[in-house]
Order: sequence, then C-alpha cells, then structure tokens
Amino acid sequence: MSRWKNFLLFLTVMGPGIITANIDNDASGITTYSVAGARFGYELLWTLIPTTIALVVIQEMVGRMGVVTGKGLADLIRENYGVKAAFFMMLGLFIANFGNTVADFAGWAASMEILGMSKYIMVPLGALAIWMLVAKGSYRFVENVLLFACLIFIGYIISGFMARPDWASVAKSTFVPRLQWNTEYIYLSIGIIGTTITPWMQFYLQSSIAEKGIKKEDYKASRLDVIIGCSITDIISFFIIVTCATTLFPNGIKVNEASEAALALKPFAGDYASLLFAISLANASILGAIIVPLASAYYICEAMGWEAGINKTFREAPQFIGIYTMMIAAGALVVLIPGAPLVFLMVLSAVVNGLMLPFVLIFVIMLINNAKIMGEYVNSRGYNAISWATIVTVVVLTVLFVFSTIFPVT
Amino acid sequence: MALFGELFLSEIIKKPVFDPKGEVIGRVKDVIVVKGDPLPEISAVIIHRKGKPNIIKWDAINIFNKRIISSFQYADSLQSYEYPEEDLLAVRDILDKQIVDANGAKVVRVNDIKLEGYNGSAVLIAVDVGMRGILRRLGAEHSSDEVLKFFKTQLSYNLISWNYIQPLRPELKSIALTVPRQMLSDLHPADIADLISQVSREEGAHLFKDLDIETAAEALSELMPERQAEIISSIDTEQAADIIEEMQPDEAADVLSDLPTEKAKEILEHIDREEAEDIEELLSHEEDTAGGLMTNVFIAYPPQITVSEAIDRFKKDAEEIESVYYIYAVDEQEKLVGVASLRDIIMADPQSTLADVMETKLKSVTPETDDMVVAEIISKYNLVALPVVDADDVMLGIVSVDDVIDIILPPSAKRGRRKV
Repeated sequence: MSRWKNFLLFLTVMGPGIITANIDNDASGITTYSVAGARFGYELLWTLIPTTIALVVIQEMVGRMGVVTGKGLADLIRENYGVKAAFFMMLGLFIANFGNTVADFAGWAASMEILGMSKYIMVPLGALAIWMLVAKGSYRFVENVLLFACLIFIGYIISGFMARPDWASVAKSTFVPRLQWNTEYIYLSIGIIGTTITPWMQFYLQSSIAEKGIKKEDYKASRLDVIIGCSITDIISFFIIVTCATTLFPNGIKVNEASEAALALKPFAGDYASLLFAISLANASILGAIIVPLASAYYICEAMGWEAGINKTFREAPQFIGIYTMMIAAGALVVLIPGAPLVFLMVLSAVVNGLMLPFVLIFVIMLINNAKIMGEYVNSRGYNAISWATIVTVVVLTVLFVFSTIFPVT
Repeated sequence: MALFGELFLSEIIKKPVFDPKGEVIGRVKDVIVVKGDPLPEISAVIIHRKGKPNIIKWDAINIFNKRIISSFQYADSLQSYEYPEEDLLAVRDILDKQIVDANGAKVVRVNDIKLEGYNGSAVLIAVDVGMRGILRRLGAEHSSDEVLKFFKTQLSYNLISWNYIQPLRPELKSIALTVPRQMLSDLHPADIADLISQVSREEGAHLFKDLDIETAAEALSELMPERQAEIISSIDTEQAADIIEEMQPDEAADVLSDLPTEKAKEILEHIDREEAEDIEELLSHEEDTAGGLMTNVFIAYPPQITVSEAIDRFKKDAEEIESVYYIYAVDEQEKLVGVASLRDIIMADPQSTLADVMETKLKSVTPETDDMVVAEIISKYNLVALPVVDADDVMLGIVSVDDVIDIILPPSAKRGRRKV
C-alpha cells in the first residue's frame, strides 16, 4: 500500500482517540496542571513522560478491544462478569461522572465570571444548550462541535508561548527527573496520573471505536489515532504547566483553581494569555459537560439492557433520558446554589474514580487476554509484561492518590 | 422426577449440591442446555468442587428446586468437565447476552432465565429482560418489593417466552443474538435495519444472513454506508450479487460505491448484464449530485401514442419498478418533451394522445446539480420525482422525493448505532 493510501486510511479511522484524549483534559485536569505549575515550576514536567507511556499502553488495549469485538467495555464486562460486576461498575461510574459534571459546570461558571458574564445566567443557559443539543440535535452536529472544540485546546499552547518560558530549563526538567521528598510534591505528581488516566475514558474510547465500526484490518491506523491522541493530551498538559510555571511560580503565587490561574496570569503574561486561558477553560468545561452525562447514560443503559439513543423520546427510553437529564440539571444546580457541597462532590468523584480504576484496568487486561473474545488479538507475552507492570504501577499510585484526596496535607 | 414448579436460574447458581448422605459435593456453576421437545431442557448440571468443574448428568439429579439440589452421585464418582466450546451453557452463553426483542424491535439483555418442571425434566420457558431480573441477581428483589409496596406500586414481570426465541446459529452453539426468524421477517425492513445497526458487527452480519433476498435488499438500503459495505463484504459474492440485483439501481450503486473497487467489480460480474450496466452508469456520478441520487429506471413513451396504449404498456413495464408517479414523454432522440402524472393519464380520454395530456413546461436538472438544489426544486414545485437530463435534454433518470428525504432526514439506522 502506498504511503498516500495509508494516510487516507488514517484520516477515515482517526477521531475517537483524539477526541477522547482532548476530553480528558477537563476542568479538574486543568486545575491539577495549573496548581502543579504554580507550586513547583518546571519540576513536575518529567512526570508527563511516564504518564503518557502508561496512557498509551492502556488506551491501546482498550482501543484494540473496540476494534476486535465491536462492543463497548460496559457490554463486555456485563457479558463476561455478570450483572453484579456491571451494576457496581455503573453505579461507581455514575457517582464519579456526576462529580465530573459538577466540576465541569463549576469550571464553566468560573471562566464565564472571568469573561465578565454572570454565572446565574450562563450556567442555566449552558445546561439548557447542552440538553437541547442532544434532545433535539443531530449527531452530525454534535460531532462537528466536538471536533471544533478540540481545536480550541490550541489556546493553551499559544498562551504557553506567550508566557516566554526558559526553554532550556523546560527541556531539562522534562527529560531529567528530579525527585523532591516532600508530601505535596508527591501528592501532586500522583494527582497528575490520577486525572489523566480515568475509568470513564476507557469506556468512552472503546465505545466510540466500536461505534465507528473500524475493521480489524484497519487496526494499525486506529492505534496510531490512539497514540497521537494520548500524546496530544499530554502536550496540552505540558503547556498548561509551562504557562503557570513561567509566570506564577517565580512570583510565588499559589493557586487552587484553574480559574484563579487564568486571573493570576494577567499581570505576568498579559491580557491575551489570560483571556486565552479562560476561554480554553470554558471550552474544556462545556465539552466535558456535553460528553460526560451523555456517555454515562449510554454505558449504564447498555450494561443494564435498557433502551438508549438520543433520538428516542422519554416514553421509549425513560432510563436513558432520565439519567442524562438528571446529571445535567442537578450538576448545573449544585454550582448555582450558594454553600452547596461542591468540594465534597469533587473529592467524592476523585475517590470513586480512584477506587474504580483498579477494577476497570484488571477487567481490561483479563478481557484482552481472553482468546475466546480476542482471538489472535490477545496480548503478546512481552506486551503483557509491560501492561501488567503499567497497571500495577497505576493502581498503586491511584490508591495513594485516593488517600491523598481523603487526607489532604495542607 | 427432578423439578416441579418453576424457578429462576439465578436462584440456583452457587447453591450447594448434596450427595445422598447430605454431604456437600460442590456448588452449581452452570447448566448445559440441549434441544428438547417442545422447549430446550437441561441435560446436565455443572458444579465446581474445590475450584474444579465437574459434570452431573440430569439423570443423576435427585432433587432440584430453589432450596435443595441433590444428586444420587457421591464426590468420588464425579466426572470432570472441560467447558467445551460446542456445549450450550445457560450462564456462559445466554445470561447477560443481548437478544432482539422482536416485539418492540429493540435490543435487550437477558437478566435471568426461567425454568419449569415438565415431564421430569427442567425446561427453559422464558427469559427475564426486566428490572425484576436485575434486582433478583443483585439479591434485592424482595426488599425492592417491600419498598414499592409502601408506595402502593409494584414491579411488573418482563418475560419473553422461549417460544418466541430461536437460536441465531442452527447448531444451537451460540445464541448471542436470538430472534424468532418467523417474526423477524414479519418486521418492516426499516425496523430490521434499525436492529442490525444496534448490535455488534458480527451479530449484525449473522442476523442479515438469515433474511430472504427481498427483505435483505430492502433492509440493506436502510443501513448506513459503512455498515452496508461491511455486510456485503462479509457474505459470499453470489449471495451479495443476488441481493444487489434485487435492489433499485440507485440504491445498488450507493452500496457498491462504498466497496473496494475489486469487490464491486466482482459483484457486478455476477449480476445480469442489463442491470449491471444501469448500475455502472449511476456509479460514474458524484455522490452528492443529482446524478448520484437518481435512478435510471423510469417510464418514458413517445408523445404520439394514445392514452389507452400508454396504460397497456405501463402495466407491463411497471411490474419491475418499485414506485412510479409519472409517465415521461420522450421523442426519437430520447429528448424529454413532457410529463403526465398517473392521475392525468387515468382521468384522460383513452383515445387522446399522450401529447394532449402531458405538461410541457417541466422542471429538470442536469446530473451535476447539487443535491440540496434538487431538494429545493422538489420542495418548491411539490414534485414527487424530478427528471435528470443531459446538456441535449436527453433523459438520463429521475430523482424521487424519498431519495431527497433521506438526505434531509436520514432514517435512524443510517445515523449509526450510538450518538456519542
């Protein structure tokens, strides 16, 4: 096959990996990177390399399952491990994703405030728009919105350059790990992995690949899509850290929120960098708020055997529309009620995510080694060793991350 | 003599099995199902003893109900079991799998299986696809009943009788997707396409293979292009050619245009010459133009023939055509000169000529016209079909209103399985 033909093939297969990866940088992810950059400068940049490798190893397996089986991860878990495993997995996913939705609406509210718009108008408006998009919209439109929204992430790269970092020390910190033995440093480096590798994106990736109907013969192109997607995620994370590290760290400004970072950037990187940062945050938040509730409603209905689909009415698919509507409505409401337990919900979501990840990863590696399901596409022995090592490492770090979330140091 | 009354499969899984002396010899893991008359029945129980699978034949089962399961066998006479692929196991192969509920034309999951005693054997009488099945497996059926009683409502049973279920593959090996074939062909092809688009590729292909040629052709045209290509590639060329031949030429061209060139060529070679030429001609046009939308099957007569002659010829010619709305008038050079609706023809004096009744101020487009422009013209002039002509007014084909509606409002099966 000629090189040109290969490239064309890639274009038709590409999408799921890149979209998934972009949604991964949601409001909570951006917060973690901003905090990491402001607190430790370039010091934590090196963690992105092992994180990317772990992400590629895991997503590659999930993508491969999507291509080979044509089914979602929720389907496979239900069919091979029964209703109990599927039910508790979905319950966990629901709680964690509700927290994610709240975090996304909070990110949306904060970025709108920075842009000078009242959250009491913009949050209900955003929620209504998202709900309408699915209830009344077409899939084509949603997909185009998503692909366009992925482009806005470039905003972070631009603000990274506008901050004028010292590239020599950036490069050094990226490739030469330097450990610091203080708790905050360790917690933040674990946090970076925890926000990058999440359970729900494994479900999302596999379903969207299965949905796209990618054939086994085109699997190599699909793998490239996944690898590029994972790299893009971490390139964006890289620039967020660089931006905050260059501007906020030398001036000793600590931030706790992504929106604080956007505001704090103003005096050091200029109005445009700050504005770009805020717009990118708004984009990431609304993107998450579209995908997370929708994806959750799909997996839950699929695993439980309930009718699902955006072109269905409430009467036809009550559980699907119910879950979807409830997540958006309650998610938006929590952000607007003064004194609502916002922090508690986000901590809960992080903890549930952390608790679920080991199970999800173990299901993944058990399923991918099941020759009855995967046929000749099971892991090779060498790849299995790498996968197990990755999974064990990620699981250990995640358990630590859960601990650090429940018992914060500060 | 083993089973009386009824029970659910989930109620016996993990239950201890006793020997005649009351010692536990293992726990129920699965049951083997074989074809029975009239319903499938259990031929053996698989138990795990210290983690090792063993098989107990149904004849060796003494008592089998939701409280006690006992065997005539002792632990030392147990036979080990290897889980061969060809056995049909209720838990492994049926439980939690998707089945097609032909009644509502939707895909559901098997949450539980209902068994009943019949002449001493345990037969599978129904699958539970409802909320009750899920709650029962989670061990929460009774407590949910109590809670709901408080609200003065109750959960209904949602069972599909096994009478309506038929294994997808004849050897009964896998029933990952089950549907009564009889009922499947009773469904509208558009509903079948909807079902195919909701299940995995492999299952969709299996479902498709069971359809008769005519239904297959109609269902295929309702599917989204990638899915069409997949299915046609997965079946053998002969069968594919039969299905393509059955389709309207414009729809056939749509399917073939998404296939690899060699495969499309191969299929065309198996199709009747004349039909293949029609399709090839359509394939030469761009997809989103009038040429790509049109079909080259239409009715056209010389304007000088009489209405009664036109009706006679129409009765013969229209047999092969799915839907006809207009009779076109073309001169010796095949140039389009007029059009008459079937209503005009039927209402007209049989002795008048086609030229007398036809409308001569007619709208037409060239094959290169954009599909949205075609849609606008059809909508503006309230047409049922729009003729496509070349630069010399020679008639090439027609675009009918249903082709246009599919661009504006694609049927759900064409929009894909999942909308995330």
